[in-house]
Amino acid sequence: MNKLLPVLLLVLGLSTVFAYVDDALSFAQEAALPYVKKGFSVREDAWGGDLGVKEQQAMQAQLFKGNEYWFCLGTDVKGAVLTVNIYDSKGKLVNVETTRNGRLSAVRVVPTKTGSYFAIVTVVKSPQERTGWALVYAYK
Amino acid sequence: MPNILKSVAVAILFATASGLNAQPSPDAVDLSSFPAKAIDDVVVPVPSEVFLVLDKLGSPNWRGEMRESLGRQTGNRAQAALLLGTVIAEGFVAVEAEDPEKVKDIGRRVLSLSKAINVEKAVLERSKSIIDKADVKDWKAVRKEFDGALQDVKGAMIELGDGDLAQLVSVGGWIRGTEVLTSIVRKSYTADGAELLHQPALVNFFSKKLESMSNRRLADNDLVIRIRKMLTSIRPLIGDAEGSPIPVENVKKIHQLTRDLVISITSQEA
Repeated sequence: MNKLLPVLLLVLGLSTVFAYVDDALSFAQEAALPYVKKGFSVREDAWGGDLGVKEQQAMQAQLFKGNEYWFCLGTDVKGAVLTVNIYDSKGKLVNVETTRNGRLSAVRVVPTKTGSYFAIVTVVKSPQERTGWALVYAYK
Repeated sequence: MPNILKSVAVAILFATASGLNAQPSPDAVDLSSFPAKAIDDVVVPVPSEVFLVLDKLGSPNWRGEMRESLGRQTGNRAQAALLLGTVIAEGFVAVEAEDPEKVKDIGRRVLSLSKAINVEKAVLERSKSIIDKADVKDWKAVRKEFDGALQDVKGAMIELGDGDLAQLVSVGGWIRGTEVLTSIVRKSYTADGAELLHQPALVNFFSKKLESMSNRRLADNDLVIRIRKMLTSIRPLIGDAEGSPIPVENVKKIHQLTRDLVISITSQEA
């Protein structure tokens, strides 16, 4: 049993995390809806997790010059403020447009070069110690 | 929600480690501040992200890019996973070609290959949906279903503890997608078209994943060994710096490398 305990704790912990990431994912997908109406396709793949206040998470994506992208972020925590910013491989901000509405925020990117880009999620403030988030992207 | 599980796991492992005390400047960020592993994982683009740009650059003959045969399965799990990846990528080509019969054939094949690697349940609905939406020529919806099928298959494999096999599905799709991309660009070369091949992070990501496979039988599989060598050969051909031109000779070399592998994946006796 002693050997099983860490495994059980890990499984229980993951179940909790997946539950609130599922909620956050719903919000992220909701954030993407206006762009679907504008002809964007939302990727089925997604990033997600939880962060403390002022913590950040970076994710890497391959973007193609000629496409336009919206990165859409959602959180399950009411009152939390999260941001997503997109940087090129040299760390330069490439956001073209940003929107925020409650638990949803989104940023538009029009890559001038094909290559690696980094989406950085930040929990600016939150009423909770850990804040669940999920990020999807749409392309056109 | 299997498609998000892998990403979540990565986030769980590294989110706390990536906590920074200070907010970065909004105009620039020092990417080296983030633990390397936190940004190592790359979301693999679906072929249609690249194909969309090719459509904007010209009018590719998508029907001419379709393979007549989807290949045959030999019973080897590595080959089946790679083949499944190439078949899903073929689905994106067939969508571009707007060929409903081919799309439906591919939808059925995705299901039979998934059965071979025990993830049939995960894609049953997707397969039906691909066929239904191809019947009404809702190409955008079909494209989304192929993307979903890819994520569902990978998610199901990861849940079964077959993360290595899931990577092979991604790799197979990327190889076939790159074969098609290079085929089109070499026929009608433009610098913008060739620039789509500038994918060093993805090539490095696949190399690392294939080099660190925990399943030794998969790691020692002949096809996997050949893919590792191919990735090493491709790396210097795709341009060092972003925006640096990739000459037509390199495009042709990459086409030959990926074409040879697709032939092996789709017809090899394992």
